[in-house]
Amino acid sequence: MTQSTPSTDADHYLRLARQEQQGRLTVYLGAAPGVGKTYRMLQDAARRQAEGVDVVVGVAETHGRSETALLLGPLHILPRRRVDHQGHALDEFDIDGAIARHPGLILVDELAHSNAPGSRHPKRWQDVEELLAAGIDVATTVNIQHIESLNDVVAGFTHIRVRETVPDQILDDAELIIVDLPPDALIERLAAGKIYLPDTAGRALSNFFTPTKLAALRELALRFAARSVDRRLSDQLRTAGDEGDFVAGERLMVAVSPGKGGAQVVRHARRMADIFHAPWTAVVAESGRARAIVGAQREQLADNLALAASLGASLMTVAADHVGDALVDQARQLRASQIVIGKSRRSRWFEWRHGSIAQDVIRKAQGVAVHVVPLTDADERPDRPREAAFARDDMVAFAIVVATVALLRLAQPWLPFGAIDLLLLIPVILSATVLRLRAGLWSAVWAALCYNFFFIPPLHSLTIDDPQNVITFAVLALVAAVVGWLAGRIRRQAETSAGVARLNASLARFAGLMGGLSEKEETARVACREIGSLLDVEAVIVTIEDENIMVRGNDAYRRIDMIDEAAVRWALEQGIATGRDTGTLNASDWQFHPLRTSLGTMGALGLARPSQERIIRPDDAVMLASLVDQTALAHERIVLEGQARQVDALRERDRLRGALLGSIAHDLRTPLTAVIAATEAIPAEGAFADEIRIARSESRRLQRFLDDLLEASRIEHGAIEPRWESVDLTDVITDVLRALRQDEAGARVTTRIDGDCPFVSSDPLLLRHVLINLIDNALKFSPVTTQVEVELLCRDGDVLCRVLDSGSGLPADTDALFDRFHRLEGSDRVGGSGLGLWIAKNFTEAVGGTITAGNRAGGGAMFEVILPGRPKDEAEGRAADA
Amino acid sequence: MHKDVLIVEDEPAIRRLLMGALDRTGLTYAEASTAAEALRLAAVQPHPLVALLDLGLPDRDGLEIIPQLVEAGLAVIVLTARDATDEKVAALDLGADDFVTKPFDSAELLARIRSALRRKTGNRADPQRRAFEGGMIDREAHAVMIGGAAVALTPREFDLLWALCEKPGRVLTHRALLETVWGLAHRDDVDYLRVAIRALRKKVETDPSRPKLIINEPGVGYRLAGSAQRVA
Repeated sequence: MTQSTPSTDADHYLRLARQEQQGRLTVYLGAAPGVGKTYRMLQDAARRQAEGVDVVVGVAETHGRSETALLLGPLHILPRRRVDHQGHALDEFDIDGAIARHPGLILVDELAHSNAPGSRHPKRWQDVEELLAAGIDVATTVNIQHIESLNDVVAGFTHIRVRETVPDQILDDAELIIVDLPPDALIERLAAGKIYLPDTAGRALSNFFTPTKLAALRELALRFAARSVDRRLSDQLRTAGDEGDFVAGERLMVAVSPGKGGAQVVRHARRMADIFHAPWTAVVAESGRARAIVGAQREQLADNLALAASLGASLMTVAADHVGDALVDQARQLRASQIVIGKSRRSRWFEWRHGSIAQDVIRKAQGVAVHVVPLTDADERPDRPREAAFARDDMVAFAIVVATVALLRLAQPWLPFGAIDLLLLIPVILSATVLRLRAGLWSAVWAALCYNFFFIPPLHSLTIDDPQNVITFAVLALVAAVVGWLAGRIRRQAETSAGVARLNASLARFAGLMGGLSEKEETARVACREIGSLLDVEAVIVTIEDENIMVRGNDAYRRIDMIDEAAVRWALEQGIATGRDTGTLNASDWQFHPLRTSLGTMGALGLARPSQERIIRPDDAVMLASLVDQTALAHERIVLEGQARQVDALRERDRLRGALLGSIAHDLRTPLTAVIAATEAIPAEGAFADEIRIARSESRRLQRFLDDLLEASRIEHGAIEPRWESVDLTDVITDVLRALRQDEAGARVTTRIDGDCPFVSSDPLLLRHVLINLIDNALKFSPVTTQVEVELLCRDGDVLCRVLDSGSGLPADTDALFDRFHRLEGSDRVGGSGLGLWIAKNFTEAVGGTITAGNRAGGGAMFEVILPGRPKDEAEGRAADA
Repeated sequence: MHKDVLIVEDEPAIRRLLMGALDRTGLTYAEASTAAEALRLAAVQPHPLVALLDLGLPDRDGLEIIPQLVEAGLAVIVLTARDATDEKVAALDLGADDFVTKPFDSAELLARIRSALRRKTGNRADPQRRAFEGGMIDREAHAVMIGGAAVALTPREFDLLWALCEKPGRVLTHRALLETVWGLAHRDDVDYLRVAIRALRKKVETDPSRPKLIINEPGVGYRLAGSAQRVA
């Protein structure tokens, strides 16, 4: 069966899609220091440079080897960034410089290196990831013992645990180049002093260089590379659409437990997932009891989960009463084909008493292969807070029993004999419900013993005379035990569901609170107060507004440090959590979670905790995710509401302006009509002839200005709706000339009209307005002694109407002519609203035409209106039929 | 004694201007500022011959009283805004003779009034022949003379020219012309009209690219320029 599950395919293609834009990573993998990785990388780089690739050396450790240093010669070296750390100057890789430089290929030696504190990323491999994401190809080197999933294996036979590790995932898509050297040759080189070893680690490291260890390391490296090649091959087969013979349908689930052993199990699972090419999920099953784990245990669990995530697992937490059952259920839901689980070596007695989760899983998992990883670390079992808390509970249980017995002794004369054993159940039930299960069971024992000692003859001894009393005693002991056990169990279940209910109630309350707010400051304050009290942290909301960092929601924190600011910016840009306890900029005291919405990232939620504890406990992660979402939603809603209000206000303002313009225009028109009629009625002769002429022309100008304003307001309101009809432009031109009084003797306008131009489908009044504006303009902007020419012609079925003058022509930027309120230099002399051409353009476009402006070869301006003509045959053909 | 003109206008300033213009030309008038008053004055016998009607009246829409004024025997000239195409067409379809757009030119307004008065008072000697500027049309002989020479028109062109000549100076809406010449079925085929007008202009206009005889009223219709005379 070679069917693969949908999600693996999706993952596969997602990865491919990412690879498309990402830079490519080349990793020079060696079995041990000194095999010549850097040398080989530099050699290849020189070759690439010769091929024309822009190669830059980000970091290259030559360790003083002259032949290696020689290779650096021809390459461009990126300056290091100097970091001051506790008085020592450290030269670190300059990630910002590299990204700004954006070379074709960058060499970054020593992938497993840890960066100086205060760097953007704690680890160099994170720098490399960023470079790849920026689309830069990277070449790097790493030794096999630094690979995270092989960490245990290497430690197993070298007895050296390497702390600087590289997650396998980063190597998944890389091209691996094995730099191989046989162990003998390597030892020879070491003896010849050709291998650089740091002084402090020299002795420990030299333990590496025994033939057997080197052989083992070499085998590991070769196998790792072979697996990588194998995976790439199957990837290619899949991409090519050929299913191939890769192992499909496998899905791994690993049960993660607290304790150091959990990490070992996780690494093992990763190696298996690699072999099967299977997706894998790390599951934590938390029983009510396990929730009680605190302190170091909890930290360890969180670390184990983080490790699983960094090795490529998806994470899942399930609440469970019975861990084994929950794990098997979860495996079914995930359709896992393999379960990986750890099992410590414990005594049979311990297993008999406490049960073994691994045994449970093996017994219940049907059809699922269970891999049990034997654990060496002794403290595998979660260390429950037995010491203090348990002892105290036991004491309380004992006290309750003693008190009850004392009371019963006093009341005995008045009690029937049979009542005493029943009444003794009371302290047992009480202890089991209020205290821990163990205390309940102990109180059952105490109650039974006290019953025997104080109430069953012979009194004050643990012997029993009457056989009937033996039965009573046995029944009491049994009933006490069962009742105690049941009560304890019920309490545990209640606690688990109360926890869930509490979480839901908190979230519902939070959502309710946020839903009622409509103001930014207030929302931030309520969100921070609530999140702070729910998670027991300090919370702020940080936004970037106009490049300024704004900190809201918590009066105790109004500003943040530089490093925090960098973390905020990073969180906003990358949409990931940054700062303390994260992989990015963790020198910050705050942990920032981006508030992501459909409108983009609104800001970041900053969380801090005065103590050194983790800011977010693993079981709060779900709650935090919901809280972050709710906060982001509330902010999005406020922004949207703000925008809606703004739009409403704008619309209202527009409406008012339109109404105002309309009424002004109407109220102005009526008196203007009277003025025009009156001035025209006065004969322009006698002493005031000039004044009368001025009054006439100015009132006409005012009228045109008013018309322009009205038309402009119609355009702005989108109220231009052409009344389509068949239009003969000859008619429009004639009409315009009549309106401009250019149809009589002495007219300045001459026409050249092609009488056979097709009709256009248009609005005659809009066209009239366009031509009035153009011709009027031409008359205004050219000397009165010159002629204005109007041409009507047809070209390729379109109808062209040109207005040409002999004025001073137009400036170069003719597009700007059609802007609103655009006026030519010095055009104030002739006057105009500055709206004429803008209106002409809008009207022309409203009827589907175009308008252009230019200069004539012989001087003067030319405006051209092009209107799409209708097929001439259509119009005339139809008329001829009629 | 009858009045020549009935002024129906609610704006006192415009009313006074119109009165002044009419005074200067020696025409007599009555004035009304509401629709009700206008109807009352139109009923006075002998009635005024021409009504100058502003459509924006305080009591009623001016359009509504057009049929009553026409019924009373008045020629109606509507005062309207230039971009009110629908209003113009509606007024003409309701029986108005003509329209003048605001702001108006008093000379043009007076010419329109005179033309309307002439149509009202002209004799009806020969209903079959009309003279127009530069030519003459004879319906009986089915002949058109331009500048003394006979011009051959197609039947449609002839009908169109006759329709225009029958009501010289009056604006005929596209629809009215189409109904008269092509029939009710083609009342909305403006294309027919455009093509025929272009062809007609080529035959009767001195310069078809600058027509002076058949005048276009954008969006509304056509009118015959000048004053066609009935030939006695």
